[in-house]
Amino acid sequence: MKILVTVKRVIDYNVKVRVKSDNTDVDLANVKMALNPFCEIAVEEAVRLKEAGVATEVVVVSIGPKACQEQIRTALALGADRGIQIETDSMPESLNAAKLLAKVIAEEQPELIVMGKQAIDSDNNQTGQMLAALLDMPQGTFASELKLESGKAQVTREVDGGLQTVELNLPAIVTTDLRLNEPRYASLPNIMKAKRKPLAVKTPADLGVELKEHSKLIQVTPPAERQAGIKVASVDELVEKLKNEAKVI
Amino acid sequence: MAILVIAEHDNRTLKGATFNTVAAATQMGGEIHLLVAGSNCKAVAVTAASLDGVSKVLLADDLAYEHQLAENISKLVTELGKDYSHIVAPATTSGKNFLPRVAALLDVAQISDITAVEAENRFQRPIYAGNAIATVESLDPIKVITVRGTAFDPVETKGSAEISEISISHDAKLSSFIGEVMAESDRPELTAAEVIISGGRGMGNGENFALLETVADKLGAAVGASRAAVDAGFVPNDMQVGQTGKIVAPELYIAVGISGAIQHLAGMKDSKVIVAINKDEEAPIFTVADYGLVADLFDVMPELQEKL
Amino acid sequence: MSTYNPPLQDASFVLDQLIGLDQMCNDLKLDEVNSELASVIVEEAGKLASEVLAPLNSVGDQNGATVSEGAVTETQGFSDAYQQFVENGWATLTGPEEFGGQALPNVLGTAVNELWHSSNMAFALCPMLSQGAVEALIAHGSDELKAQYLPQLISGEWTGTMNLTEPNAGSDLAAVSAKAVPDGEQFRISGQKIFITWGDHQMTSNIVHLVLARLPDAPAGVKGISLFIVPKYLLDEQGQPAAQNDVSCVSLEHKMGIHGSPTCVMSFGDNEGAIGYLVGEANKGLSYMFTMMNHARQSVGLQGLSISERAYQQAVQYSQERFQGSNRDGSKIAIINHPDVRRMLMAMKAGNEAMRALAYSAAADIDRAHHGDAASRSRVELYTPIVKGWMTELAQELTSLNVQVHGGMGFIEETGAAQHYRDARILPIYEGTTGIQALDLIGRKTLFDNGTALKHLQQEIQASVDTLRNSESESLQQLGRKLETALKQACNAGDWILDNAAQDKELMGNVSFDNLMMMGYLTGGWLLAKSAIQAEQLKQTDNAYGAPFLNAKISTAQFFADHYLPRVGQHSETILTGLRHTFALDIDLL
Repeated sequence: MKILVTVKRVIDYNVKVRVKSDNTDVDLANVKMALNPFCEIAVEEAVRLKEAGVATEVVVVSIGPKACQEQIRTALALGADRGIQIETDSMPESLNAAKLLAKVIAEEQPELIVMGKQAIDSDNNQTGQMLAALLDMPQGTFASELKLESGKAQVTREVDGGLQTVELNLPAIVTTDLRLNEPRYASLPNIMKAKRKPLAVKTPADLGVELKEHSKLIQVTPPAERQAGIKVASVDELVEKLKNEAKVI
Repeated sequence: MAILVIAEHDNRTLKGATFNTVAAATQMGGEIHLLVAGSNCKAVAVTAASLDGVSKVLLADDLAYEHQLAENISKLVTELGKDYSHIVAPATTSGKNFLPRVAALLDVAQISDITAVEAENRFQRPIYAGNAIATVESLDPIKVITVRGTAFDPVETKGSAEISEISISHDAKLSSFIGEVMAESDRPELTAAEVIISGGRGMGNGENFALLETVADKLGAAVGASRAAVDAGFVPNDMQVGQTGKIVAPELYIAVGISGAIQHLAGMKDSKVIVAINKDEEAPIFTVADYGLVADLFDVMPELQEKL
Repeated sequence: MSTYNPPLQDASFVLDQLIGLDQMCNDLKLDEVNSELASVIVEEAGKLASEVLAPLNSVGDQNGATVSEGAVTETQGFSDAYQQFVENGWATLTGPEEFGGQALPNVLGTAVNELWHSSNMAFALCPMLSQGAVEALIAHGSDELKAQYLPQLISGEWTGTMNLTEPNAGSDLAAVSAKAVPDGEQFRISGQKIFITWGDHQMTSNIVHLVLARLPDAPAGVKGISLFIVPKYLLDEQGQPAAQNDVSCVSLEHKMGIHGSPTCVMSFGDNEGAIGYLVGEANKGLSYMFTMMNHARQSVGLQGLSISERAYQQAVQYSQERFQGSNRDGSKIAIINHPDVRRMLMAMKAGNEAMRALAYSAAADIDRAHHGDAASRSRVELYTPIVKGWMTELAQELTSLNVQVHGGMGFIEETGAAQHYRDARILPIYEGTTGIQALDLIGRKTLFDNGTALKHLQQEIQASVDTLRNSESESLQQLGRKLETALKQACNAGDWILDNAAQDKELMGNVSFDNLMMMGYLTGGWLLAKSAIQAEQLKQTDNAYGAPFLNAKISTAQFFADHYLPRVGQHSETILTGLRHTFALDIDLL
């Protein structure tokens, strides 16, 4: 079984995001970038399936400027077999990304596509679902467990208030939640090997996709700062304030 | 043109998030139709009809929609939604699941998780885990939107909309429902609770969370935890509040023995009233707390339980 | 407890810009290696260091290793971390390919080792010692010994130890008295060794001890010491660890720091005699030790950087969280805004960046020397005592500043500031004390070649002074003037030493420490000035670092020039006095 995994280059989750002073966007100049944590979980899941003998090949795809090859290499160092970069000047909107990926999938014909449920920069949580719709494939979003049995995928999903299990025909799209697995650290020999693994570059034109603008970013502002309140001296004072001042109990 | 809101429900009751989502839709201008798609869900449609601002309830009662499978619901919503200016759903795991499919099928973008409506095509939404707020303008003819419920006050239930049954059945036959395990608790769910009491590493161990539970029972509160407490193995990870856990905004949030790491603050700082109880007076949690009590939680919690 | 953020950007700046990694790998025909690969390796190592090893650092401090019935149990959590370290192949980084290593350059190994030591020095000592054993075997072991022990030592499946010190043989290894008696092809080893780092533990299936001992007919003194391999478990015919050898850990030292690193008293041959195998030729053990010395000493110098970097990060963190004093509007002031706290943070930052520049440069010179570059070889010789001596001494000052930034809380163990200070204290002692390094620098490395290597270094510094003074940037010109002053002072002292100390051993000893420290501050200041030149050039181009980092690099070099370079003059002045009163008092007046 061939598995295709998508990865996105995003700001490292440890970095504190700062909004540009002109409010046009967040400031990403010279900020440490990393593999989106949910995508890392996706890579890990695919590599585990390969190690378990279920998958035969893991192909990793990223969309963006050349720098995103770093994240493809990271995924290769984690155990993916080859990479495809779709070169764009900037990060495309989700729908455009889904259209580009749909073309790659049409070429690659994987039986399973594993993606992060969302990227921690735009927090959209939609590319996987859009891709599934474009390809008319079933989806198992927010997966906390994935089993492949008798030509189907059984996905346990983290839904509000509990867990839901669905069965999907293959090919299918699975998007990962935090608890699907704990990604490994890249090993040194695999980092060395990753350098030699093939990495193809394609453009939207190669794929015959015209990128359309669906929305405009008007401005980006810092969130309203919460003001520190007061210190109370005792439990009595706290209860009194909550009852009579805040009126929340 | 009208706005189509998709109701969240479990075939028996209408979920609270729908009330907030309708509230958001009323700010977009235009008549609001509320779609109740499910199986044996007439009772839901009746409640839905009472929501203020809703002029019509569309009831699609079909076995194919029983479990809200995205593959099926998205086809129904796409078919119905073509004639609307906005298609709006709560940003719950259900809304997030099917609505992007609708957007893709309509060849439009989805604007996720909006927290404010500035104009019929202009919205605010948090990005970078709430560390920045983006104002986004849609260029599409149909605006497909998910709504962060905590950002909008729920509508009241004084209305009386007509219920119109529709018989469109879409069964994509791509997926099937196997089962579900819902957390069994008398306490409310974290994301729906009006009061949350959370413990951090300062709790020391899992047994001590009983101190929080007794207070939670008095307040009808849900019990949460910081990542530090989850990582330390005190409590299971579905209790985690924070950037990588649940994002909550209750009326009252009580943080007990939580220092206030930035990931935790990202998950609860929109709460209306925040109380922090910590013996370290320098703990960052106090910078966001409305009421801070510098004290040992093991002294405070029994006293609090007694005095509530 | 403090979190640790690997200083990836500075590491890549030093590797790519100051050392010119791509050029170096080209010159050394390391086709596979380039700066891009290096940055991935450092970044991935950084994840393991910060997420797995760093959280165990204070655990090891508070719950040190324990010993019972001859066996050491390491701190809980260390074993799992070590397995992960080995499984991820980090032990293989610089090992030769034929024994399963990745054959990456030493300078890259140094950049990665910095991370291990910053995150958890007590832990990282274990693979560091193994690396020493590997080097000794590669250089001097027979093919058979290499085949039997190297693959497992390089993979990290087994660890290695160095058994040199005895109760009466510390800095003076001529006094080694452990015995080795021939027994067929092998030897029976007996005697006690002390201060054996990671001498025993349960993390691996075998431990390979390298032991200095005397043969029965050996000449007295340094020329009668041989080197042996003594495995904890003897190998069976399949090369697997089998019967336990006659060696055990009889006790653990109670130390001031590095509690996570078991410091063992090892007893060899309590019963029938521990079976050992001769490494290389008889009676050459001590000279074999010297072949590994440059690397071993540089490794300890690197620890000085590592622990200072960790302390610095903690100080920056704390000073932003700690509020003291109020503004006029009543808002509280984080102590990071107080000038004296800022001075301490800058002193730490500037010191660390100078040390990083020096440690990586010296490591790169080892790579070049290995490929036969003679100039690099003599530079390695000159740098090594400076890296070991100066960097570990500076680490005392910088880890102490972290305690100071913490104020009263720094004196309280809970904050963890004290741990770094305590851990750092061993660094100027083991692997040759500062005094030994100072003598090495002034004797073997300066007087012995009539100052040739020193002069070359001075000329290179002068060339940088010229570049700086001809720069269009006012900041660089100013930096050039300060470096020039320091260089002149150091040249004066150097000339004076060459003229006066060659004939006078006592004089040489008197001024050796000041000479060491003077050379440290001069070299550190020079390498930061060179970094500033690079930064200024990069600013004019499209670069990966960004203006804030590059400007900081220049400002940090300037701070070093203001704060530390004057110490060159001070040490120079001391040297010129000859410290003639060192022996002025009779012992009973001391």
